Amino acid sequence: MATSKVEGSSSLRHAFGGVLSVFILFLIGVVAFSIRLFSVIKYESVIHEFDPYFNYRVTQFLSKNGIYDFWNWFDDRTWYPLGRVIGGTVYPGLTLTAGTMWKLANSLNIPLSVETVCVFTAPIFSAFAAWATYLLTKEVKGPGAGITAAAILAMVPSYISRSVAGSYDNEAVAIFALIFTFYLYIKTLNTGSLFYATLNSLAYFYMVCSWGGYTFIINLIPMHVLLCIVTGRYSSRLYIAYAPLVVLGTLLAALVPVVGFNAVMTSEHFGSFLVFIIIHVVALVYYIKGILTPRLFKVATTLVLTVGIAVCAVVVAILVALVASSPTKGWSGRSLSLLDPTYASKYIPIIASVSEHQPPTWPSYFMDINVLAFLVPAGIVACFLPLSDASSFAVLYLVTSVYFSGVMVRLMLVLAPAACIMSGIALSEAFGVLTRSMKFHITKYFECSHTEAPAKLGESTSTESSAPLENMTKSDTTEKPEVARKEKVARRKQKKEKELTENAHVKPVSAKKERRPLVLPLEASIVSVFLLIVLGGLYVLHCVWAAAEAYSAPSIVLTSHSHDGLHVFDDFREAYAWLRHNTEVDDKVASWWDYGYQTTAMANRTVIVDNNTWNNTHIATVGTAMSSPEKAAWEIFNSLDVKYVLVVFGGLVGYPSDDINKFLWMVRIGGGVFPHIKEADYLKDGQYRVDAQATHTMLNCLMYKLSYYRFVETDGKGFDRVRRYEIGKKHFKLTHFEEVFTTHHWMVRIYKLKPQKNRIRGKSRKSKLGSKSTSSKSGGMTHKNPWN
Amino acid sequence: MAKGTNDAQLLVQSLRKAYAATPTSLKIIDLYVVYAVATALIQVAYMAMVGSFPFNSFLSGVLSCVGTAVLAVCLRIQVNKDNKEFKDLPPERAFADFVLCNLVLHLVIMNFLG
Repeated sequence: MATSKVEGSSSLRHAFGGVLSVFILFLIGVVAFSIRLFSVIKYESVIHEFDPYFNYRVTQFLSKNGIYDFWNWFDDRTWYPLGRVIGGTVYPGLTLTAGTMWKLANSLNIPLSVETVCVFTAPIFSAFAAWATYLLTKEVKGPGAGITAAAILAMVPSYISRSVAGSYDNEAVAIFALIFTFYLYIKTLNTGSLFYATLNSLAYFYMVCSWGGYTFIINLIPMHVLLCIVTGRYSSRLYIAYAPLVVLGTLLAALVPVVGFNAVMTSEHFGSFLVFIIIHVVALVYYIKGILTPRLFKVATTLVLTVGIAVCAVVVAILVALVASSPTKGWSGRSLSLLDPTYASKYIPIIASVSEHQPPTWPSYFMDINVLAFLVPAGIVACFLPLSDASSFAVLYLVTSVYFSGVMVRLMLVLAPAACIMSGIALSEAFGVLTRSMKFHITKYFECSHTEAPAKLGESTSTESSAPLENMTKSDTTEKPEVARKEKVARRKQKKEKELTENAHVKPVSAKKERRPLVLPLEASIVSVFLLIVLGGLYVLHCVWAAAEAYSAPSIVLTSHSHDGLHVFDDFREAYAWLRHNTEVDDKVASWWDYGYQTTAMANRTVIVDNNTWNNTHIATVGTAMSSPEKAAWEIFNSLDVKYVLVVFGGLVGYPSDDINKFLWMVRIGGGVFPHIKEADYLKDGQYRVDAQATHTMLNCLMYKLSYYRFVETDGKGFDRVRRYEIGKKHFKLTHFEEVFTTHHWMVRIYKLKPQKNRIRGKSRKSKLGSKSTSSKSGGMTHKNPWN
Repeated sequence: MAKGTNDAQLLVQSLRKAYAATPTSLKIIDLYVVYAVATALIQVAYMAMVGSFPFNSFLSGVLSCVGTAVLAVCLRIQVNKDNKEFKDLPPERAFADFVLCNLVLHLVIMNFLG
């Protein structure tokens, strides 16, 4: 009777717990969605940045023309005159997902526009990612840790920065795919079911469709398999988890046109094949070990080793020769720059010039993952008590992502889920210990009978906490390293927690073999729970602040607060709209590659180079044109059929990311292909300046002229608010270009190429006639100027 | 030297004896695996003779053989009564998973065959 009553109440408690956790997960999804809406509230529902505009344009094309045209689309409005094969060079996951959602909504008669679906794709998928984190952490540690990790991931600023409403980029769906693939892998590892292995391969396929970062998965999982084999944790479940994934995964990855045959030919995938072979060898060894006697097994091993090593040496020699014959050893430039961080700056200036490819600074860790930065070591320790396949995977994932986040600030995004999982585990374990102590003391207070207290507690403590309890009291040999480790970790935490861990280990040293529950004093537990809740509150506060202030800027619209209210700088859209309405449909626009995607999406004009940066020579041509004097630049642009040139200039309002600040990269990239452009010509004493001390080449290059033409008319002195000095050359005229449009705050300036004159005057008649001569431009111009 | 060959013979004999003790159903699966791997090797030899164009057909052919071999090995692991980890998994469920995974594999192969 008593047992059935206890069982009934515990099943009721389980049912109530289940409903409560579903409700909590729903709320977590709502939080994840809403915290990303700050930019929509503060500005408007608009697509941000540069890359999302390309994805938006592709989604528009998909929704208008259907999937077959999208798959075979050759885009002739970009990279003129080369064009770009969109079907074969884009990761289709994001656009197909958004296109499907749009189609579904419209078929249900919910009239959402494509732009709305694109803007809100990222918040929806971040809610899904939080739920996937719950599932993954539940497999690693338990449902309590799962809910904590999901709540933390919903708000972590690093993930928010790449998935706000409007940031319609690959990472929006890729992070969800990453976590979901890892969850299915761990689930297969824990259950050994081939069904989950199939689902794992399909989730991996979705990840390959979505992001180039899929190489992280296809290298991390083999590393984990190798780790399991080396630490003696090989089991048949490991084989079922890994082998089908490699075969199916490689096939599915080869199906995506962007990857194609790279799935079997590039070094990024060789790790998985190598471990595939290794796991088969290990499986065979274990099988033979099972059916032979130990003596015969020894004979077998000696035989196999002598023969096998000879064969292996030959095969490895062939492979190494094949791989070493290619200059990059088979790796792509981007992957190589991850392994050797100095590679890009030496050989590929384009990769080195992107700001998100720089290494992060220490404060950016605290900004992006905040409190998690010091909860993670506690999580690592908790993963080792006890160590299972799943928790070893979590530790490996964290360690590798910490390394990669140190190489490139953009990859802090991959660190975020790992840090959330670890912190969720740490917090959940901490709460478990503390609440158990509180419960123990409170029940003891109400029991008032000494003999019954320990026995009753053995039954009434929940099942998930009794197991680690017994582990900690029974194992004496692991006390010392645990104490040492815990003390080392505790030095980094707050003082209070250090006292706690020292208290925690006073008890087991004295307890011999009896089942004493591991508890802390009541006051310490209450204060610690309160402090942990305050810690969580501070984390939430930071996340909301980061989402609202730091990561919600759409960067296509700028605002500034001044004493007379809010100023809105909408110059970019003003310029693109002018282009759209005042130029011919087939006119070509040249600008630096940053603005290519926005120009094709919003102005609907053909551009020369855009953010895809697949052709370095083409970009170098534009860079050379921007760095050359007017006539040479005109020649280059004319050969490309360019009609309009667009520059971004921030000197009037103090916008720091303008083309003059990016100019040195144009010189470097141009100089990498055309040797007559030398960076030293543009620097005075190694310093980059555009004032009166600037070099002659700098003051006469096209970028300087197009940025500062008529700038002196604004304030009479030509004071540049970004560089904070007066410019060098103030009064000059343009000979080969004419200004057609400058936006309200002078942020975008559009120039038209002047057509060539019909009659060119001879050498003898020079500017001595003086009518239309350009002043203060002579400098070192010794060759004839046919435009006078 | 003689001891070496003697040991090798003893080894092969004991292997053969131990393998004869496995149930017939597992032996059928092993035969299927051997057949799949042999087909893959034949395809590789053919590619070495006539060249690798079209590469996607070669890849899909070889990977389908390797894939069914791997899946058959997984089925064998799950159906083997000596395996304590899978003793509460009904063999029908294992076979159903095997069929499902093979379906997905062959769907992908059909798509990639070109």
